[in-house]
Amino acid sequence: MLVGGALYLAFSSHPAEQRTSRHEDGGFNISEYRRDASRLTGNRYRIAARVENIDTEGNDRMVAVSIVGNKQERLPLLVRKGVSPRVNLTRGDTFYFDVECCTGRDAQQKEIKGILVVRNMETK
Amino acid sequence: MQVRWLIALASVMGGGCLPSSAQMISQVPADVLKAADIQKDPINVRQNAPQASGSTGMGDLQGNQTTINAALPAAVQAPQTPASAGGTPAQLPSTFDASGGKQAQTAANDVPPNPQLFGMEIPLLDPASDTMKYNGGYFDLGNNAAVRARFEKYLYQLPDDSTESKRYRKKMNELLKLTQKSARSKAEVGSQTLLQIGRGLYELNDYEGDGGQSGTLAGGIASALSVQYANNSRERKNAKMQAEIDKLVEDTNRMTNHNTGRGRSPRRGIGKQSVVDTSTSNSYKIAYNSSEVTGKKAAQVKNDADSMAATELAKVNYQSMVLSFLFERRFDHALIGANCYRHIFRDGDSQLKLDENSKSYQLFNGIAGTSPTVSALASLAANARHDVDQNIEAVTALLAQNKLADATQHLIEAVAIGEFMQSVATFPAASRRRIAEYWTLRRRVLSALNARDYGVCEETAKRMKELDADFDDSLVMGYCSGRKQQSDLALRNAVKALRAGDDEGFNRYITEAGTIWPRNPKLAEGREQLEKLDSQDGVLEEFRVLYARGDFRTIAAEQNKFEVVAVNPELKQQYKEVLTLISTIDGMLQQLERAAAQDAVMGPCMAYEMLLDQQAQDARYGEDARFRDALNRYALSAHDFVQALEQGKEQAERGELGSALANYYRAQCLYPRSTRAAAGIRELTQRILKAEY
Repeated sequence: MLVGGALYLAFSSHPAEQRTSRHEDGGFNISEYRRDASRLTGNRYRIAARVENIDTEGNDRMVAVSIVGNKQERLPLLVRKGVSPRVNLTRGDTFYFDVECCTGRDAQQKEIKGILVVRNMETK
Repeated sequence: MQVRWLIALASVMGGGCLPSSAQMISQVPADVLKAADIQKDPINVRQNAPQASGSTGMGDLQGNQTTINAALPAAVQAPQTPASAGGTPAQLPSTFDASGGKQAQTAANDVPPNPQLFGMEIPLLDPASDTMKYNGGYFDLGNNAAVRARFEKYLYQLPDDSTESKRYRKKMNELLKLTQKSARSKAEVGSQTLLQIGRGLYELNDYEGDGGQSGTLAGGIASALSVQYANNSRERKNAKMQAEIDKLVEDTNRMTNHNTGRGRSPRRGIGKQSVVDTSTSNSYKIAYNSSEVTGKKAAQVKNDADSMAATELAKVNYQSMVLSFLFERRFDHALIGANCYRHIFRDGDSQLKLDENSKSYQLFNGIAGTSPTVSALASLAANARHDVDQNIEAVTALLAQNKLADATQHLIEAVAIGEFMQSVATFPAASRRRIAEYWTLRRRVLSALNARDYGVCEETAKRMKELDADFDDSLVMGYCSGRKQQSDLALRNAVKALRAGDDEGFNRYITEAGTIWPRNPKLAEGREQLEKLDSQDGVLEEFRVLYARGDFRTIAAEQNKFEVVAVNPELKQQYKEVLTLISTIDGMLQQLERAAAQDAVMGPCMAYEMLLDQQAQDARYGEDARFRDALNRYALSAHDFVQALEQGKEQAERGELGSALANYYRAQCLYPRSTRAAAGIRELTQRILKAEY
């Protein structure tokens, strides 16, 4: 199911941010992301979402969020240490997340693709 | 005791025949039959003298036979046999030949032959045991073929209440009263009375039910009277001859006196020679007279001898006739004949013509308790009549109390003794039917016991118990139960032997089981299994193929067919394993189906994941067609969930951890309790968190 209007998609308008790739279709599609996230690598999105779950490993956090208006889907976001330190990320609250689809390497140096890394977040 | 003796006579003589052969069922202990008030069928024959038990009536016919077994099922292990009079246990013969073998056995047992009366062997009764010895064999009274056949015929006959019958009985009673009145009379009864009795008997002879007995009695009386008439005629002749003798003697004396001059005064003149000498002619006359007297004396002696011989012969014939009536249970005729005896033979001699040293004489003197006289016969007949009437009264009273067993015994006795008597002949049809029903059941129990059909025996005994609450079925039921258990035990041993591959043991035990209880229903089941075993090789091979192929469902569907694989311990284990697995799968699918139906979205997801878990735990589950069908069905119903899990897994393998994690989240949203989704999320989260970007 498409998230439609409930999904807030936008390129980041923050002047400090620099786009590393363009997103041609102008919106984040969660179905498309589930199908093939690596295609979105380098794209940035601003997402309004509600925090459903938080897993912590060291100072990094893996946050499961539900897009506003679509509670049937959850999106994994990686919040790394030092991102928006003044924002208190709590379960059940809704935030604006500025995310970038990245590729990284795990502990075995295997490539992991399509990870949405949070660059910034604000309380909604 | 007199009546008992008569029963013995009736059982054999009245039956008109003796059992030509009979079989002894040695399988069934006599105490069981006794307890059921049942005798062995067809004839309970004992070759050894029964022990005295003090039983007193027909109801205790088997009372002497055995000592009761202490307890069942001990009874089933060793059938009891009656002990001989000497205390030696007597073994019941498996077969009995009433006409041949018994003689040999009699000789072997050194049993003296019965006394004879008028050339016929007299059946000897042991009143203490209600058994009768005849022709070397022992018979249970009331349970020999002759008595039983007559009793059954009687039960199904209608009461004889016809007008002719009533008239016959009325006339018979009149004659009985007349003869009894004459018997009590001190005065001699004239020929007219005897002729009146004879005419009355000839009238009775016309009635069909009389069987010509009255005519026979009338003829006997007439014959005896004819002898008496002849004797009287001879007496008259003798008297006439005596008068002639007296005259001849007188004439002779007179002539002798004349010759010798005695008895008259001489009137001779002196010198006269006129006297004529007649001595010569008188001498011839005297000689003639003497010869005549001698001849007539001889004739008198001959007549006396003829009379005596004729009288003795007539007495023997008459006594024989009265005895025949007694044997044939025609007690009315016997009583009439006996009462008329002293009026026909007026010499006061009513002694039966028996040698005092003979056993016949001792039989009458010892058993009947009376002298061997015609009066004793009358007494026997009168007592028998009285006893029959009492038995019928007892039967009526017992039937009113639903005591069918005792009523039956009394009726047997009444019929055996007084089949032709009024009280027996007019016994109501409804009462006969009740006893006939009970009698039929009793025979059925006997037949079932003989056939060792213990199931039917128990059912029939229960029915008898319903009809007669006093019927003691404990020993019969216990005996049947014991035999059934014994058969079942042998069957169990046969099965064990079969499983152990012990063919010899199997054959032995299966034979034992069938011998004990041929109608054991488990034998039929065993036969079916054996038939299956005959084709077991092909079935075993088929089972091996199906098991190797994992087609457990087919094995379970034809589990009866594959039951025979139990002969092989290894295959038996596999067979059990298959049945257990299929049963578990079916039970699980049934429960899953009910649970899945409760939630249209999460239900199929839950069922799908559970099936996957089971399959993961035991690969055999996945080989079952029904299990696979269920898995596919739930996968279709939970398509989104299944797709999310599968994509998550596949993407994780390609390193598309973002998409994979999103898919696992998607699956968790559809089924929050999904363990697979939770495991995937946990694993991928750790990998993402520990990665470098």
